[in-house]
Amino acid sequence: MRVIVILGRVLDPSGIVVKGKAGRIFVNREEYVLQPADRCALEAALRIKDAALAGLRPSQDVEVVALPRGPLPDDDVLRQALATGADRAVYLVGQVANLPYTDDAAAVRVLAAAVERLGGADLILAGATTMDTGQGQLGPRLAEALGWPQVVGAWHVAAADGRVQAVCQSSPLLVGEEGGGTSYVTVEADLPAVVTVLPGVLKLRYPDGARLINVYRGVGEVAEGLEQWDVADLVDMESLKPLLERRGQDFPPERERGVRIDGTPEEMARVVADALRQHVGR
Amino acid sequence: MDFTFSSEHVALRRMIREFAETEVAPLAAEIDREGRVPFETLKKLGEIGLLGVCFPQKYGGMGAGETGYCILMEELARVCTSTSTNVGAHIGIGAMSIYLDGTEEQKQKYLVPLARGEKFAAFVLTEADAGSDAAAIRTRAVREGDSWIIDGTKTFNTNGSFADIVTVLAVTDPTLGARGGITAFIVESNMPGFKVGTHENKMGIRGSSTAELIFDGVRVSHENVLGKVGEGFVSFMKTLDLGRLTLGAAGLGGAQAALDWSIRWAKTRKQFGQELAHKQSVQWMIANMAMEIEALRSLVYRVAWMVDTGQPFTQLAAMVKLYGSEVGSRAIDTALQIHGGLGYSRDFPIERGFRDARISEIFEGTNEIQRIVIASNIFRQHGVRIRP
Amino acid sequence: MDFTFNEEQEMFRAMFRDFSAKEVAPQAEETDHEEKPPLDVLRKAANQGFLGATLPEDYFGAELDYVSYVLLIETLAGDCMSTAVTLATHVSLVAMSILAHGTDAQKEEWLPPMAAGEMIGAFALTEPDAGSDAMVLQTRATPDGDGVILNGVKSWIANGEIAGIFLVFAQGSEGIEAYLVPKDTPGLTVGYREPTLGLRSVTFNTLYLEGCRVGQANRLGGPGEGQTVAQQAQDRMAIALAAAGLGVSEASVDVAAQFASERVQFGVPIAQKQAIQNYVTEAMIDVEALRYLVYHAAWLVDQNRDFSFDASVSKALGARVARSVTNWMLQVLGGYGYMEDYPMARKYRDARALGIIGGPTEVHHVRIAQRIFADLDVEIAP
Repeated sequence: MRVIVILGRVLDPSGIVVKGKAGRIFVNREEYVLQPADRCALEAALRIKDAALAGLRPSQDVEVVALPRGPLPDDDVLRQALATGADRAVYLVGQVANLPYTDDAAAVRVLAAAVERLGGADLILAGATTMDTGQGQLGPRLAEALGWPQVVGAWHVAAADGRVQAVCQSSPLLVGEEGGGTSYVTVEADLPAVVTVLPGVLKLRYPDGARLINVYRGVGEVAEGLEQWDVADLVDMESLKPLLERRGQDFPPERERGVRIDGTPEEMARVVADALRQHVGR
Repeated sequence: MDFTFSSEHVALRRMIREFAETEVAPLAAEIDREGRVPFETLKKLGEIGLLGVCFPQKYGGMGAGETGYCILMEELARVCTSTSTNVGAHIGIGAMSIYLDGTEEQKQKYLVPLARGEKFAAFVLTEADAGSDAAAIRTRAVREGDSWIIDGTKTFNTNGSFADIVTVLAVTDPTLGARGGITAFIVESNMPGFKVGTHENKMGIRGSSTAELIFDGVRVSHENVLGKVGEGFVSFMKTLDLGRLTLGAAGLGGAQAALDWSIRWAKTRKQFGQELAHKQSVQWMIANMAMEIEALRSLVYRVAWMVDTGQPFTQLAAMVKLYGSEVGSRAIDTALQIHGGLGYSRDFPIERGFRDARISEIFEGTNEIQRIVIASNIFRQHGVRIRP
Repeated sequence: MDFTFNEEQEMFRAMFRDFSAKEVAPQAEETDHEEKPPLDVLRKAANQGFLGATLPEDYFGAELDYVSYVLLIETLAGDCMSTAVTLATHVSLVAMSILAHGTDAQKEEWLPPMAAGEMIGAFALTEPDAGSDAMVLQTRATPDGDGVILNGVKSWIANGEIAGIFLVFAQGSEGIEAYLVPKDTPGLTVGYREPTLGLRSVTFNTLYLEGCRVGQANRLGGPGEGQTVAQQAQDRMAIALAAAGLGVSEASVDVAAQFASERVQFGVPIAQKQAIQNYVTEAMIDVEALRYLVYHAAWLVDQNRDFSFDASVSKALGARVARSVTNWMLQVLGGYGYMEDYPMARKYRDARALGIIGGPTEVHHVRIAQRIFADLDVEIAP
């Protein structure tokens, strides 16, 4: 069984400061991290592989292949995937319009072609959300492009025998229930399918130390898993015109400063009551 | 000169930092309060290969060199000095002594499980009358056919209370001194006669174990002699020389934490109508701290590079330990002053950092010994022989 | 200038040393370890008259001059800094404030039980938001008939758990005011005890004042005079804390010198090593410099001269010397200095407090700078 994981990178938010008043984003430290939801997708893929190896499913060789969300300036994210346990990773290089803001529509065209070049796959996992655009479109668009069923927003994923089971948070729309509360529902589909994974639930594994050192040094079996493909070999560059055009950025209005109230409890209560009356009562 | 870290070391640091913040930091206050060794953390470190970070992959290690080991110590000490102490004793002197002087058989038998984190190591040297004067040890090893019988008491030992494999120094010929009369042995802690004595009640690094070890007629095979008979002292000094470097890296981590806390507090805390960051006294403290940390960082990683490239490092490693421990102590003391009452309260991590830092100027060769090593090396190059 | 103690002071000093060695030293490790206030010692100290050390005999005090009192604090601190700080809080901050600013009625009511040790004093000035900035108080004293109602929170109040009387500072209608509030007054609650690095047998508590009513008779000093009461108290305490710094430093030098003369490494006692000699001698130089600074500041108190500047200078130096000396004497002890069953570790932890309590060193620096530059017509803001 071949499981493809789509991985993207994003600026580490702890290195960014947003100054709404100045209308600017200051990047104090330009460091990139793997998209958290994509990391969960990778963890989900590796657990499917672990389950197969442990014989918890009828024996099936699971191959985990990492693909990038689009051409990236470096292959760091792919090497991380290999260090953490992926068998293969493909680094896509080439000029794509509007890098790094390539939108999901363009990325999907490239990915669909990459999947074909790989010789198909049984399951594609991707993060359900991204920290920068928050669009979450890649998974659904890719499923549409491939003509595969899609499950969006899974917490856990299991796959074997041509079927995938995804545990998702239940919603009234989904099961026709009424009322509130959190409950979970398992959604099943035939493979091949696309499943997007939500961040925050799966406990992520650390890369294996020796694999990490070797893949970054480019030595050993783990480094052999990294391949490099040119986007121009996959798609006609003309077809990569993005749907979205970035025209600028806007900031939410400054939050008004509060007023500090002093005095005895009675005095303070009087001031608060007056303010509420003023604000609400009109 | 290329002052950048290689991509594998950048990736390694990123992984260790995440591990430190997720697995190590949350336990730091608790293990200090309870005075317990965080075995759960050591197990996780072992599982991803970090307990063999500097050893070659053929011995079950990660192959990240001294640079990788310094990164590990720095990042661990940044969140918990007790944890970095446990790890440092295991890797840097325990397992390291076997790596530096062991035969191929000994490395396969002992180093591999240590590098894989399957077993723990300790380095056993100090005695009640032999602290800085390590050659004054009295633990005795007497040859009996194919074995040696070891008798003696060791004090202030880190990890010895839970280690599986310990390397211990004993006198094999009382008539000779450090040159020819002392031998190193590999002892497995489940050998009859090996006992753990009193546990010390320390001011800091309370999440690490410091205990008395008793060797009561412990019989080891001659195959467990580490290095050559009579050359144990030199071999142990060699191990200590190298271990020093990573203690400086730990000092760097602690200092960095002190700086980060201080900056955050200075940004937030208002006194006399202004954030502390606007007070020149505080600005000077932070600037000096940051400067020393930069200097230390350069020194640590330059010396790590020298070790990794096979260059002589003894004098420099002593400087790293000396400077690193002093910078670490100054930084946390300043951080405590900046935090005022909160720095003195056990509800905040500053005072724990303060207690933890204090040992760094004493263990693994007091700073006085480090100065002697540095001065001896300098004067020897000029033909003058200095004795401690 | 006569730099000798008079006969009485010499006699007192011998008595203090005797008391401290017999009663204070043996309990220091345990009270630190268990974090329990040294109540036994306080009781015995009360029997010696130490709890009313500087109070007149009329109020059952020992009528010691401030120099003798400082010798007492110094001696106690050498064996147990917690005991010294507990006592100094009681005497310098509270009892002597009542003596200096109280009406006769107030003195008669409060001083005898304090001198007898039946009522321990605590000084409630610091607030969570106003650490060093003590003159901006959130605690309010609102007039209510012939008294006031106190509302607010105080933090890091030494002796909180053992005090019978609290000297509470609040923002009144005419400025800062000081009120004597007995422990069981409705609306006063002693709260959270701070776990500390050192001084572990001193109780540092948060104090809650919620609709706590006290009569005007409990106000210490005139309306709006609270700032003066507080400042003078803090100046007296600064000298006492400097004396504690002196005491813990001297004791540390003794411990280290003793150790260095006995510990043999490399064939000789380590006292023969020049590096160790240097640590001890530099410590001794610092101790001697501090010594006369402290005694001189105490002498100024006895002379009724302005001692504010000298209080800050001696406190600032005292904190610095105590920190440095305990650090280096710990280093002389090596690994043994780090073990809690030897006294150096505790002295090191305790001494570190002096840079923070009684006004952080930075605040004293500002006060000293203000005094220096006032003569040159430059006004320094904190």
